[in-house]
Amino acid sequence: MASKDPNRGSLPFQVLLGSWSLLGLFLLLAPALVVIPMSFSAGDSIGFPPQGFSLRWYSKLFSDPLWLEALRTSVILALASSTIALIVGSLAAYSLVRGSYVGRRVIQASFMGPMIIPPVVIAVAAYLVYAKIGLLGRMEGLILAHSTLALPFIVMIMGNAVNSFDVTIEQAAKSLGANKLTVLRRVVAPALTPHLLVSWLFAFAVSFDEVVMTFFIAGRYTTIPKKMFITLRNEIDPTVTAVSTLLIAVTLVIGVVAVFALQRRLLTVVGAENPS
Amino acid sequence: MSAPQVSGSRVGGVRHRHENSSLLIPGLVVLGLGFLIPLALLLPDSLKPDDFGFGAYTRLFSESIYLRIVGNTARLGLIAAITCLIFGYPLALWISRLGPRAKILALVAVILPFWVSILVRTYSWIVILGQEGMLNKSLMKLGVIGEPISFLYRELGVMIGTINILAPFFILPMVATMSSIDQRLTDAALSLGASRTQAFWRVYFPLTVPSLISSFFLIFILTLGFYVTPAILGGGRVPMLATLLEYLVSVAVDWPLAAALSFFLLLATLVLFLLAALLAKVSRINRWREKNG
Repeated sequence: MASKDPNRGSLPFQVLLGSWSLLGLFLLLAPALVVIPMSFSAGDSIGFPPQGFSLRWYSKLFSDPLWLEALRTSVILALASSTIALIVGSLAAYSLVRGSYVGRRVIQASFMGPMIIPPVVIAVAAYLVYAKIGLLGRMEGLILAHSTLALPFIVMIMGNAVNSFDVTIEQAAKSLGANKLTVLRRVVAPALTPHLLVSWLFAFAVSFDEVVMTFFIAGRYTTIPKKMFITLRNEIDPTVTAVSTLLIAVTLVIGVVAVFALQRRLLTVVGAENPS
Repeated sequence: MSAPQVSGSRVGGVRHRHENSSLLIPGLVVLGLGFLIPLALLLPDSLKPDDFGFGAYTRLFSESIYLRIVGNTARLGLIAAITCLIFGYPLALWISRLGPRAKILALVAVILPFWVSILVRTYSWIVILGQEGMLNKSLMKLGVIGEPISFLYRELGVMIGTINILAPFFILPMVATMSSIDQRLTDAALSLGASRTQAFWRVYFPLTVPSLISSFFLIFILTLGFYVTPAILGGGRVPMLATLLEYLVSVAVDWPLAAALSFFLLLATLVLFLLAALLAKVSRINRWREKNG
């Protein structure tokens, strides 16, 4: 069947391309998953295949006050920075889409900056400024830094959402006497709730995963990624496999929630189109 | 990296000069404090007079150790980009021609690693490539090698980890481009008597070149500033720009030089992005010229 399609090339070529590609996919995927079986090992080293089955690395993880403290910091930091980024980023996205003022395109491009500029450059720049104004090792500084890094994702997702939202609905609300803030609060925000949720999850994930900026400016604060980074550079500690597996599980949950949120949006769109 | 699809809606209503501009302010404050102002201050910081005005830059470009690290990082970036091209181009070609279901599965396999922390994926490479790691154990069991090869804490290991983590940034845009190429173009070439090789190199490949250029540059740029994986897998023995920056900030405490190097990296990133866009545009125009005589 492959040989009938003239675009597909000869059979040996097909086999070669197919096996090359399957090897490539395997090499991409395997490193992301190899730590999962390792985390349940009963052995002392990180040999593969894992020796026996146990939860010893998980119990070690949850009885270590340093890891628990890192988890606490990570969660507080991610909650605070993602919420701030969501509020200021969504307003900015709305303004960039619906507004008209000089320099709109330049401002829009600069909101993408934190995603494009190498993290280590932003981290050094922030470090030098924070050092001068006493923000190094302060929670406020960390929250500001993490909010900034999440902004591009929020502005991008919410910009697309506002762009695809029918502007005549807003105009209808305005013509019925609602002011600008009421329109945002009572019309736009409820309609775009799934996008807001997805943006917020994205921002949470960005912060929860961030290591470079945190490593430079966090001072005495330790987050989960920072502790992993420092541990990985200094020793081989199988506890990290348990942390890694839990991180994969958390990401999976976030992904599933995001998919459901977007599906609900599809249902809402279908319902809205129904002229009943 | 695609630009956001945000554009002003022109539907109805009189537009005011500063409509909705006040909603921008909180976002700009955060962006300014956390990003724009720190980056802008890199330049004056790097010009802090130690001997002359350009002291830090003079040191950066006259002391051979720094030049060597800059050159080394650029070389590794080139290796990463070329390897991504060799591995990624056929893979993207293959994915773009799969049936709809298989294509989604393959794309999930490419995107899934994005959702796993870079730290986790880097750690996996320690498990795989270590002296007692999976690869060495398997090779020894098969009798291919007598004693373990050391991959880690040298360039080889750093490059394997870096390429593995950056490859999706090459593959995904290529799949998108290749999926949008009209299959009938190569059909037409074949029916007009071109061989498969000719149809590929003369018709199909040129259509992928603009996207190939921008993806190639993207990998190069990302490697220039890559920090986490080289820091872990290099174990301090593979000097790159980002690890040098860490050294300058926290060990040598040479802030003017750190600012100068950051500013250089910032400028290099922006210039390379512009160059990539320009080259992609030129290759598109050339194709258009060929087509239209």
